[in-house]
Amino acid sequence: MKGLTTIYRRELASLFLAPLAWILLGVSLLLNGWAFVATLKSTGGDITYTLRIANGGSLFNWAVQIFLPPLLTMRMISEEARNGLLEFLQTSPVSDGAVVVGKFLAAWSFMAIFWLSGLAYALSLQLLGHPPDWPPVLGAYIGLLLVSGLFCSIGLFTSSITSAPVLAAFCALMGSVGILSLPWLVRLFEVPWLSDGVGAVDIMSSFDRSFLIGVLDTKVLVFFIAWTFFFTFLATRAVEAKRWR
Amino acid sequence: MITAQNLTRRFGQFVAVDDLSFQIDRGEVVGFLGPNGAGKTTTLRILAGFLPASAGHASVAGHDVLRESMAVRRRIGYLAESVPLYREHRVEEMLDFQGRLHGLSRNERRARIPAVLDRVGVLDRRTTLVGHLSRGLRQRVGLAVALLPDPEVLILDEPTSGLDPLQRMGVRTLIQGLADEHTVIISSHILPEIEAVCPRVIIINRGRLAADGTQEELIRTLGGASYVRLEIVAQGAGHADLLRQLPGVLEVIDDGVEDGLQAFEVHCDVDMRREVGALVAREGWTVRELSWRKATLEELFARIALELDDSHEAPAAEPLDVEAGGAA
Repeated sequence: MKGLTTIYRRELASLFLAPLAWILLGVSLLLNGWAFVATLKSTGGDITYTLRIANGGSLFNWAVQIFLPPLLTMRMISEEARNGLLEFLQTSPVSDGAVVVGKFLAAWSFMAIFWLSGLAYALSLQLLGHPPDWPPVLGAYIGLLLVSGLFCSIGLFTSSITSAPVLAAFCALMGSVGILSLPWLVRLFEVPWLSDGVGAVDIMSSFDRSFLIGVLDTKVLVFFIAWTFFFTFLATRAVEAKRWR
Repeated sequence: MITAQNLTRRFGQFVAVDDLSFQIDRGEVVGFLGPNGAGKTTTLRILAGFLPASAGHASVAGHDVLRESMAVRRRIGYLAESVPLYREHRVEEMLDFQGRLHGLSRNERRARIPAVLDRVGVLDRRTTLVGHLSRGLRQRVGLAVALLPDPEVLILDEPTSGLDPLQRMGVRTLIQGLADEHTVIISSHILPEIEAVCPRVIIINRGRLAADGTQEELIRTLGGASYVRLEIVAQGAGHADLLRQLPGVLEVIDDGVEDGLQAFEVHCDVDMRREVGALVAREGWTVRELSWRKATLEELFARIALELDDSHEAPAAEPLDVEAGGAA
C-alpha cells in the first residue's frame, strides 16, 4: 500500500510538473467557462439547464473524455518501459499491480480535479443566492468521474501494450470512440440480436438517464467499475508480461 | 551472498545466458566481464529480480530472486546501464521517491539523502533538475539512488559507460570506497576500471562462464606468458643460448635484429630482470631495453572474447574455471 501511495504521489506530481497538463487544464476550463456563461445568457438564466450542459450534458464534455485521458496516460507505461524507468520500478520493492494502480489513480485524480469546475459553477451560483438542484450536479460529477476512470484505464492499458506514447494515445482514442459509438453503429447497421447486449454498454445513454438526473443506478455503477477494473487488470498483466519478453 | 546455479535465459531461440553458475560471498567486489552481447546485463537483470530465468535459479542474500522477489529487491541497490531517473524531478526529489519506495521514514530520508549525495559528490546539485545534469553527474545520482536504502548488495551495470576519463576515475574512486560496506557486482567492458576496483573477476562469453577467479590467478593461469624483454646492440652470436642457461628460464624467443638491435623474450614465471641484468653486465652487452612484461587482464579478456586457445588459433572448447581447478 505504501508503494502504491508513493507511485501515486509521484505520478500526480509529474502530471502537474509537465506543461501539457496546465495547457490542457487552462484551455479546457476557459472553453468550459465560456460555454457556461454563454449558455446561461442564451437561456435567460436557466440554471438547471446550464449546469446540465456544464456537467457532462454537452458534446464538449464527451470530447474531453475522449481526448484527455489518452493524453494523460500515453507516456505512463510505454515511455517508462523505453527509457528504463519501468525496470527501475520493477526492481524496487513495489508490486507491478501497485505501479499500475498508482498510475491509474494519478490520471483519474487529475480528471477529478478537472471536473471540479462544474461543481465550482454550482457552488458560485449557490453563493450568489441562486441555489442549484444539487443531486443532478453531484450525480453528474460522479458520472463524469466514472467515465473518466474507464477511459483512463483504457489509456493505461494501451500504454502498456505499445512502445510509443503517440501510438498508445491513438489506440486509446480509438478504443474510447469505439465504445461510445458501438450502440450507434448497431442501430445504424440494424443488428437486432446485438442491440440488447450493446444497449447495456450504451455509456452516453446511461449517463443521460442516470447520472445527469441525479440517480445512481447500481447496474450502471457496476458496469463502469467492472470495466475499469478489467482494463487496469489487463494493464497490470501486460506490465508483468514485459519481464518475459 | 549471491548464488547463481545453472542459470539459463532464452529469448525465443536465442540463448542469452547458458547454464551459468557462480557464487559471490559477503563483502566481495566482483567484476563481471564479457564482450558486448555476452549476457552480462541479462544475468544482472535476473539477479535484480527483473527478468525471470528460463532455467536454473539464483538467490541474493539467501532469498530466491523469483519466489522471494520483494525480499531480494529490499536488499539490493541496482543501477541499470541506462541510469533510469525521472528527468522532471530535482535530484533530492528523485532520492526522496527512492526512499519512500524502500519504506524509509521521513527522519531516515532527511538524514540519508544529504549523506548519500555528499558521498557521491553531488550535494551541491541537490536542487538541480535531473534533466539538466550532465551524463557523469546523472551517473553519480544513479549511484546515490542505488545506495540510498543502504543495500547489502550493489548491482551496477556498466556504471562508467559513456563517461570521460576524469568522470570514470571519479566513479572508480567512489566504487572503491563502497567495497568495505557492500557486496558489489560490477559489469563492464572497460578493463582498467575492473582492474583497479575488483579483486575477483568473472568472465562470460556467449552466455557461458569463461573464467572465474582473482585477477592474479586468472592472469597467471590463463592470461598468457610473462617475460623479460631484452634489447641489445647486435654483436656476435650465442646470446640466446646464454640466456637459456639461466636457472628459471622457460623459453627464449629471438625476435631478430632490427636497426642494429637484437631483441629477446625471456619467458619465466617470476621477474628475472636482475638475473638477466647480471648476465648482460658479465658479458658486456650494450643494453637498450630491459623490462618485465606481465600479462594483463586485457590480454586475458581478448583471448577469451576471441575464443583463442594457447596457440591463438583454435577456439577454446571448454569454460576456463580457475576456482574449479585450473584451466581446462
